[in-house]
Amino acid sequence: MNFPQTPTDVAQQFTNENDSVSFNSGLKAVFIRNVKILWQYKFTIIVGFVNTFIAASLFYYVSLLVPQNTIAQDGYVVSSVSFIFAGAILVDISTKILMKSMNSFTSEMRQGTFETLSCLPFGLKRYFVSEISFEVVYGLVISIVHYVPVFLIFPLFIGFNISWSSLLTLLLLLICILIFFFSLSLLAANFTILVKRGREIAMVVVGLIHLLSGSLFPLDLFPQWLQVIAYFSPMTIAVRACRLCLFGNGMITSKIVWIAIIALIVSSAIIIFLFNLTYKKIYNRIREKGTAHEF
Amino acid sequence: MYAIAAARVKMSLSYKSSYLITLFLNLVTITMYFFFSKLNPDMAIFGISASYFEFVFIGLALQFIVGTSLATVNGSIYNEIVSGTWSSLLLHFNFAEYAIGTTLAGTFLASFSIFISLGVSYAFFGFSLSVSVIQIALICLLFLLILLSHMVISMLFAAFTIYYQKNSGLVQLLYQLTKTFSGIVFPIALLSGFPTVLARSLPLTYGLEALHNVILSENIQWEIVQRNGLVLLGFIICIGVLSFILVSKSIKHSKKHNKVDWY
Repeated sequence: MNFPQTPTDVAQQFTNENDSVSFNSGLKAVFIRNVKILWQYKFTIIVGFVNTFIAASLFYYVSLLVPQNTIAQDGYVVSSVSFIFAGAILVDISTKILMKSMNSFTSEMRQGTFETLSCLPFGLKRYFVSEISFEVVYGLVISIVHYVPVFLIFPLFIGFNISWSSLLTLLLLLICILIFFFSLSLLAANFTILVKRGREIAMVVVGLIHLLSGSLFPLDLFPQWLQVIAYFSPMTIAVRACRLCLFGNGMITSKIVWIAIIALIVSSAIIIFLFNLTYKKIYNRIREKGTAHEF
Repeated sequence: MYAIAAARVKMSLSYKSSYLITLFLNLVTITMYFFFSKLNPDMAIFGISASYFEFVFIGLALQFIVGTSLATVNGSIYNEIVSGTWSSLLLHFNFAEYAIGTTLAGTFLASFSIFISLGVSYAFFGFSLSVSVIQIALICLLFLLILLSHMVISMLFAAFTIYYQKNSGLVQLLYQLTKTFSGIVFPIALLSGFPTVLARSLPLTYGLEALHNVILSENIQWEIVQRNGLVLLGFIICIGVLSFILVSKSIKHSKKHNKVDWY
């Protein structure tokens, strides 16, 4: 066996995917490992129901403050409760996925398991993709489950009517949002291992997405310059498009909707390209500096 | 107590990014509610003679400090237990010194958020506040009562942390409840049924009600300020005494079973 001599040799050896198990087997192993870990924290899952319910209560009571309890945007008028919940739930679930992804890498680094996982012959990139895939699936499923009691208790979408074409467009939009957050999580996790501040980075990104996407109010309330900045976040147009599908019969042919889909796909492609460009450099750097763990 | 406070301030400053990000997020939240206030929620129907942003600003500016005083004692003790320094601290300090010292340090740093929020709101959101000397004195008094009431809750949770050597996450849950149901972003007059009971069980509800009255009313309603001040004082005494008893028992238990630290 050839022993690696330099940090670059080490990185090269451990990012080699040729002699490894198949991607599917590795992905399955990561999923099984993570499910076993999560099972140890059952109480957190229960607390998640309460936390989601409390956050939903806040949005519900805040939406009751809107005059006449209605909000108008993009040619439709809808109850403030429905308007705020549609935006807030979408942003909340998406940002939870991002938080979970970054927290998972922070935990692995803090506990010293990241080095072991990243050194498996499975390959660093495959490990990143598997770990983020798990977090996206888990984040999505658990967030939806946490919202079930909220949907049952609060009168969120009373008199709500949506056509099949709008529903299909909405599903397409949601898939694009998921892909966008998958790629964003991938890149963010990459920077987490470099700067060791996953939780903090995630909090800033989440805070800004919440503000700029207009989850609580129509974007017309922003001054012109802030509206321009807001549209740099693909989630801003995505939230607007989802609301149009839900309340204004928006379809794939609607301008806002197709712009949102293109914005999400293009941003995801750029982010994945950036991830591909940076992940080996970042990994080499932390190995050379000996900072694979977080102290 | 001062030694602990100084040490904690230094320690917190070594986590500058975390501190600055919390400050930043507080400003993001205030900005979000500033734009929400442009929908012109009518506060007069709740008997509040102020704009929505004036109403919401007071609670949001306080939020960071309340969160800090609620989390500090319990969180610090948990970290001491995990890192193995708790046994050494118990030799040199008593619990009261430790609790007050850590809370003082945390809230000293968190209190900057109030001034930064005020500055940003004055510069960008056209928010201004003119208060008399009596109002300043009342604000300081209520501020102190709010801090102490959350500190004693944290001490109560610390008793369980010392006993079980686990952080249950219940403090975080209580903070979420406080943020939602104590009238920070909407008047509690909107609530009915069980949520009202919940709101009235939280000390910040009384503190904020009194603060809104002192700062936003044209004439201070002394009856409300006095009543809410007394409720907070009663809360501090009852929970404070209970937490001291429970903490003493927990420390005795952990010493007896030789498990002061985690390992």
